Amino acid sequence: MATVKLSIQDKKDLDKFTKFLALKAAQIIVQSRLGEKVQTKCKPHSSGTDWFNLAIRDLPEVLAEAKRALCGEVVTARLPLCVEISLRTVEGDTMMLETWCLGVLPEQCDPSVRVTYTVYNRMGILLKSLVSVTRVTPAYKLSRLQGPDSYVICYRIYMGEPQLHNLGEGYNQVRVGQLCTPVGTLHLSVSYRTKLTISPQSTCRDNSIMLKSDHFHPDLSPRHLRYQQSEDNSASLSDTIKVGAFADSCRQPQSPLEPDLEMPNVPFSSLLTPRQQSPPQPSEPSVATGGGTETDDDGNGNVTPHCDSRRSSCSVVSGHEDFIMVDLKTPFAGGNTNSELGAFYLECQSAPQLKTFSEQPTLAEQVGDITKTLEAFETSMQEYDEMLNSLCLSDNNN
Amino acid sequence: MFPSKSVANPDLEVTSSRRTVEGRQVDEAVASIFHTVLFHRSLGKFKYKQEGSYSVGTVGYEDVDCDFIDFTYVCCSSDNLDRNLKREISEFSEALRGNDGPGSGQISLEFFQKKKNRWPFQPECIPWEVWTVRLELIKLNNEHERQKCREKVGDMLTEKILYIAEVMNRHEYVPKMPNQSELDLIFDTSYPDVQPYLFKVR
Repeated sequence: MATVKLSIQDKKDLDKFTKFLALKAAQIIVQSRLGEKVQTKCKPHSSGTDWFNLAIRDLPEVLAEAKRALCGEVVTARLPLCVEISLRTVEGDTMMLETWCLGVLPEQCDPSVRVTYTVYNRMGILLKSLVSVTRVTPAYKLSRLQGPDSYVICYRIYMGEPQLHNLGEGYNQVRVGQLCTPVGTLHLSVSYRTKLTISPQSTCRDNSIMLKSDHFHPDLSPRHLRYQQSEDNSASLSDTIKVGAFADSCRQPQSPLEPDLEMPNVPFSSLLTPRQQSPPQPSEPSVATGGGTETDDDGNGNVTPHCDSRRSSCSVVSGHEDFIMVDLKTPFAGGNTNSELGAFYLECQSAPQLKTFSEQPTLAEQVGDITKTLEAFETSMQEYDEMLNSLCLSDNNN
Repeated sequence: MFPSKSVANPDLEVTSSRRTVEGRQVDEAVASIFHTVLFHRSLGKFKYKQEGSYSVGTVGYEDVDCDFIDFTYVCCSSDNLDRNLKREISEFSEALRGNDGPGSGQISLEFFQKKKNRWPFQPECIPWEVWTVRLELIKLNNEHERQKCREKVGDMLTEKILYIAEVMNRHEYVPKMPNQSELDLIFDTSYPDVQPYLFKVR
């Protein structure tokens, strides 16, 4: 063997650096998809959390999720690490947008490279490239336009080979960068969807289909996979939403949030619940709405996510729930005509009830009525027979 | 528009057909490329302790949305660095877009190191990496064309950012870390928050 034996200290350092490379990469990717502009300050003195001399904020929820996926110290042996970004519409349709993958090629190693200096600095450059590249894939623009009324961006972090079959036809793969270490070449790449049209055929109603289709994949077994998914903070994301044609444009800005709280505190908290240890279960619709309710409750004081998208612009919701009457402010029209039309429509919509239905007799009365009617019919039987006979006779005559 | 990179020897410079942008997109297109390069080529501030040991500060970064291009890029969080770069770029842009402007041109971001010379001569500047952006101006007739151009230039810049990342991760030549006394020969130490390798725009 020509390879120089790595000192124990170097090996320990390398593992530590790789672990933090993976943790910081996950932070960069997820933070770039929150729909907000990122800004971190330069610091004259690096502190303990400022790895690679790059000011990357640590979101506790993302950190917990990434650590859970990494699960232990010896990261290099367990790579690849994947961060999957997907989109979920208010209707519950899901579309996987991209998968970022940090992997290692053990066969391409450079035993001569200095771990503490060269590898560490190159990891810093790789993360800078990641910061730059996360802004140019199609999912970035989508994430900036997300909102509780349209769609939210979700993420999940897992170990194992990237699952790319949900990226649709003709997905692109781009290399972000790589660096040689004494134990192999670390490489970071992204595969992203190029066909962004959402259609019922190409999407799954929920994640259950996506995950079950790969039921026997070893990486999806409970032992290997730590599955979690969360909504982003819809409250802090709504600043950039485009307002729809009939949507209420004077929606309250989400000002109550303090600048320091702009990170998704509440939505990501669902990551910390104990069910994370469970295998990839079909995500229940209630989980999704539950997340939304939490968010709304936090930001807007609303309770149900459905009302959130329709609030205040809907003046009447009919009994059938599927029809919403929008109180249109018609230009140039007098206020009265508008309300008259509305009143007329309302009358049609909710016509007065028939007396028959409002004055329902009791069961005893009804039974009594039936007996009486039957008796009346029996007594008049002779009459009916005669009428029938007369009809038959008249038929014969014709 | 094409950023090409050359290392010291001009023969290595990659050339390509010129790319087109609209006048008001010039500043943003150039800034997005140069800022991305500088983000990769800037370190935290060095703070020297005794006996040659030093600590390195942390580089902050921020997202910048372009006004005239559908594009967001990342730069170092340093107002001074941004101001200096923007000033250089806008001088180029004004010359290019002026009434008697040539309609096409190029601007380079050159990293260099200084070599001390014998008194009274100035130190010698040796370039070690040059990024060149070539631009050709086009005229757009209507809003539809303008919208198309916003997207097209954004797509073009995407390719360039990926190219920059690729080059940066080849880990080609960068000057060796200097001693404290020679720090100014390698780095621009005039910024209070970041420490880019010595560079000039021309």
